[in-house]
Amino acid sequence: MTDAAVAPSPPLWRRLLGFNLLTGVVLGIGGWYVGWFGAHSIVGPSLDYFGDIDYNELSVYLAYIGGIVGFLVGLGFFNYPFARLRGYPPSLREKETGGWTRYFSLCTDHKVVGIQYLWGIGLFFFIGGLNAMLIRTELLRPHHQVFPAGTYLTLVGMHGTMMMGMMSSGILGPFANYLIPIMIGARRMAFPRIEALTFWLLMAAGAILTTTIFFGGFPTGWTGYAPLSNEGNPGMDNYILFFALVGISMTLLGLNMIATIVTMRAPGLTWTRLPIFAWGVLSTAVLMVLAAPVLVAVLAMEALDRTAQTTFFVAAAGGSNYLYENLFWVFGHPEVYILALPGFAIVLELLPVFSRKPLWGYRLAVGGLLGVSLLSWFVWQHHLFVSGINGDLRPFYMLSTELISIPTGFTFLCGMMTLWRGSIRFTVPMLFCLAWFFNFLLGGLSGVFLSDVPSDVTTHGSFFSMAHFHYTIMGGLVFTFFAAIYYWVPKMTGWELNERLGKIHFWTMFVFFNSTFAPLFAIGFLGQPRRAVTYASGLQFLNDWVSVSAFCLGISMLIFLFNLVWSLGFVKKPAEANPWGSRSIEFQLPSPVPVHNFDRIPVFSSDPYGYGEGPPPSWVPAGATAGRD
Amino acid sequence: MAEPLAYEGTSYEVVEEEPPELLGRNLVSASYLLAGATAFFFIAFVFAYFYLRSLNNGGMWKPEGVDASIGWGTAVVACYAASALLVRLGVADHRALRRDQWRLKGVVALLVGVVGLVLQVIAWTHEGFGPADGGFASVYFGWTAFLFLFVLGTLLWLEMTVATSYRYRKTDGPPPAGHASGDPHREAHDIRDPLSLVRAELVGLSFYWTFLAGIAVVSWVILYLI
Repeated sequence: MTDAAVAPSPPLWRRLLGFNLLTGVVLGIGGWYVGWFGAHSIVGPSLDYFGDIDYNELSVYLAYIGGIVGFLVGLGFFNYPFARLRGYPPSLREKETGGWTRYFSLCTDHKVVGIQYLWGIGLFFFIGGLNAMLIRTELLRPHHQVFPAGTYLTLVGMHGTMMMGMMSSGILGPFANYLIPIMIGARRMAFPRIEALTFWLLMAAGAILTTTIFFGGFPTGWTGYAPLSNEGNPGMDNYILFFALVGISMTLLGLNMIATIVTMRAPGLTWTRLPIFAWGVLSTAVLMVLAAPVLVAVLAMEALDRTAQTTFFVAAAGGSNYLYENLFWVFGHPEVYILALPGFAIVLELLPVFSRKPLWGYRLAVGGLLGVSLLSWFVWQHHLFVSGINGDLRPFYMLSTELISIPTGFTFLCGMMTLWRGSIRFTVPMLFCLAWFFNFLLGGLSGVFLSDVPSDVTTHGSFFSMAHFHYTIMGGLVFTFFAAIYYWVPKMTGWELNERLGKIHFWTMFVFFNSTFAPLFAIGFLGQPRRAVTYASGLQFLNDWVSVSAFCLGISMLIFLFNLVWSLGFVKKPAEANPWGSRSIEFQLPSPVPVHNFDRIPVFSSDPYGYGEGPPPSWVPAGATAGRD
Repeated sequence: MAEPLAYEGTSYEVVEEEPPELLGRNLVSASYLLAGATAFFFIAFVFAYFYLRSLNNGGMWKPEGVDASIGWGTAVVACYAASALLVRLGVADHRALRRDQWRLKGVVALLVGVVGLVLQVIAWTHEGFGPADGGFASVYFGWTAFLFLFVLGTLLWLEMTVATSYRYRKTDGPPPAGHASGDPHREAHDIRDPLSLVRAELVGLSFYWTFLAGIAVVSWVILYLI
């Protein structure tokens, strides 16, 4: 930056008083109390605010809404809209310079937002993981030992809700925000402020869900089924607010991604040259934009049932709990692919780099991603097979569910054929990608049992289905999440991660992941139901095995955390610009990538998968080609 | 060796003066996407309406005395539709460089929209039933309440566009650099001629507002007519 263009940075105390996270938290707490007192003045004056005897649902909602507004005001999100309301012209960028303080405020640099997402989601991923450890501690014995049943249910619900909610943006948040503008040759996302807003909304949501324990928790698990949700503690309101905020964040994130990819591709970057990762992001973003609003709507109905006494889900008063189940799964099944598709895309993006071969069947892979995205809308009723749906509908949903294995198979086929006769390098990211094949295969095959009506009737609601979705989501998404971390974090931070620790992390995670979840298939077949704090004493050995494996899986995560802190906080070994010999454009830029990405917008002349067709470019000429020579 | 794609370091000079066409395309495409998201949000209410109506659990879909007033409903939807129509006409004026006409229509559209919102609040207080009175009452209050919020948001967007048009109605060329909202360190607008974006904003806004008014008409048919 030219020195003349930069005003001197104000002192630290001055910056602390400005619009930043600290101010956001202070105003958020203030806003919470304003909402709390306001609701009590609406519903009926009471001085028992600080006791636990005067909850009402409205006070919880208004308190948290006040908290969210205060939080966003403190971060500075209202400055721009107020300026616009007074007629000032549009602008794009805020706080893109300023060192580390950018990470604790509204910053419109997509790379900062990506890194904010990585740490923010990581924090809540860690909390969700701790919940899992507590769940497995309780299940060491067949009878109560640590937690009362209600607390256990809250732990199960918090674990599931936190993981599903946060990991919905687990790839698009950190990696797509960081990489998509670079991959398409742009300098920014389409809407940089909205991009930042999606992150801070997600952080507010995480805080809201975590504080459910102060309001008695919630008994419904991550699905929030009515009528139990209508009758739940005020902690249920935290669940509703959390997921509604996640839904809003997902909708805006998806909208921003689509607008960016559709309108901001650099010259020469045709649809058939678009990196496969961008296709995965695009197909996920479509699902986000269309499915998440249904979630927000159904949660809005639930909130109205709990506050305004509507009867959407009260059968005795003209509503129906099946309405909730239907609408929830209209969102819920596309949600599964919102989680899975970015994982597919990462695997397909990384395999050519580490097999030194072009991506096999590029168009088939794109068709697979889009096919999954489309078919995911026609399968939701398989979640209601045992809920009493019309028997005539079952075969259709059974077939539509099984049909989805065809486009999923395209992804597998393209991945396997890319590996075929490749010069495979078993780097840490590649190991995580290869593990994906194994894990997702088991997850997919076990899914056939759940899509078939006869076997679903037996296995529904058991540990079998839990094992299935952990194989698909943890085995499919979380493994590729780590592949992405090991692959792109050196580019994002400019520092290398320790490879030996990475390999130890991988092997411990792979072994103990399978050791944890494979026995759950058997436990499910033997009849242990989900969300029950006690179980048959004959199942204790298997449960203890699973618990010990889960603790070891937790330790593998600590190894990763140690690697992250050690490598990025202490060793700080500078990463090469292109440590993997990738032909993708992000690796032709310095590490970390400069604020403005490109001095000049590049011109693309091919896709980035031309491995084996000449040496990888060490520099891509600005204003000329990127990718294949 | 060829010139690298980027040198390390930062430079606002690189990102200042972005062509406004780019954000214009962003805005228009976002309005289409927002319409898609909005449609799926309200489809949930359409589904709820027909699902609960066909179940009629406990005979409580529409108990006696629960009937939304078609007079109020028509007035509200008419205001929304008229406001959206005025914005569309305003876009035509803006394209034909009749800026005074556009600003006038914009203000009137804003006022008519606000009148629609006020009428909706009055309608809620004048219905002879409450949200707890069965399935229809739940759908009615839920649907109209969230339509109210969506319309409110759209009118805020309209206000921003109208306000920008008014503030700079006598300005030739770009607004002063100090008027760029955002980072105080910047010396120039990050969009070249940001006022030219009024057109793109209007096109996007007009599409979305028309779409939302269309949803209001659908809600009128479902909640008041059938």
